[in-house]
Amino acid sequence: MHTTRPSLGKYICGMAASLIIFLAGGWLMLAPFALGYQPYGADWVSQTTNSFVMGICVAVVALVAFILFFYSLLGSLRASGVLVAPTRVVAQAPVSYQTQTSIPQATTQSQSDLDKTLATLAAALAADLNSRRQAGSDQQNDQNESLVNRSEVR
Amino acid sequence: MSTRDAMRRLIPPGSYVLFLFFLAGIWLTISPFAMTTQPSGSHWIASTVNSVTIGVIMIVVSLLGILGYMLFALRDLIRETQAKQVAEQQV
Repeated sequence: MHTTRPSLGKYICGMAASLIIFLAGGWLMLAPFALGYQPYGADWVSQTTNSFVMGICVAVVALVAFILFFYSLLGSLRASGVLVAPTRVVAQAPVSYQTQTSIPQATTQSQSDLDKTLATLAAALAADLNSRRQAGSDQQNDQNESLVNRSEVR
Repeated sequence: MSTRDAMRRLIPPGSYVLFLFFLAGIWLTISPFAMTTQPSGSHWIASTVNSVTIGVIMIVVSLLGILGYMLFALRDLIRETQAKQVAEQQV
C-alpha cells in the first residue's frame, strides 16, 4: 500500500489559530461585564451589544474552523496509514481458497484489511488458474489416449 | 499537478474561515471609532482598548494561521515533487 509521510504542522497551525480565536471570542462575550463598562441591571449599551454579538459569531465560526482543520488532520492521518480508513463490506472468498494461501502469520497481522483481501483474491485466482490448467491437461491426455486406442483398433 | 490543485492544497476551507476572522478583526479594531463610542480627542475608554486589542490579536493570529498553513503545505508540495522526480529517475 502506498503511504505518504504525514506532516501535521500545517493542521496544528490552523487548529492553534482557531483555538486562540475561539478563546478571543469567549473573552469578547465576557469583556463588557468583566471590565465593567456595562452597567449592572441596565439595558445593554452599544459597546456591549457589539462586543457580545461579535464574540458569539467569532466563537461559533472558530469552532467550525477548528473542526475543519481537525477533519483535514484526520484525512491526512488516514492517507498516511496511521489511522485505518473505514472500509466497505467486501464479500470474503471461500475458506477453501484461504487454506491454499501461504502468507506468513506475522506479515498478515501487520497488513491492513485491504491487503488481506487482495492477497486472498490473488490466491483464489491462482488456484482457479491451476485447476483450469490441470483440467485442460487432463482433457488433452484423455483425447490423446482415445486417439491412440482408435489407431490401435484400426 | 495543475495550478488549481496546488491552490486547493495550499488554501483549505479552514483558511477561508481564518480570513473571515481577519475581516472580523479589522471590524473590531475600527468599530469603536466607526460607532462613535470612543469620544474623539480623549483617552481611550476600556471598551475601546478591549476591542482594539482583541481585533489586533485576531488579525495577527488569523494571518499567522493562514500563512503558516500555506508555508507547511508548500513545503510538503515541494517534497512530494522532489520525491516523484527521484522515483522517475530511478525508473
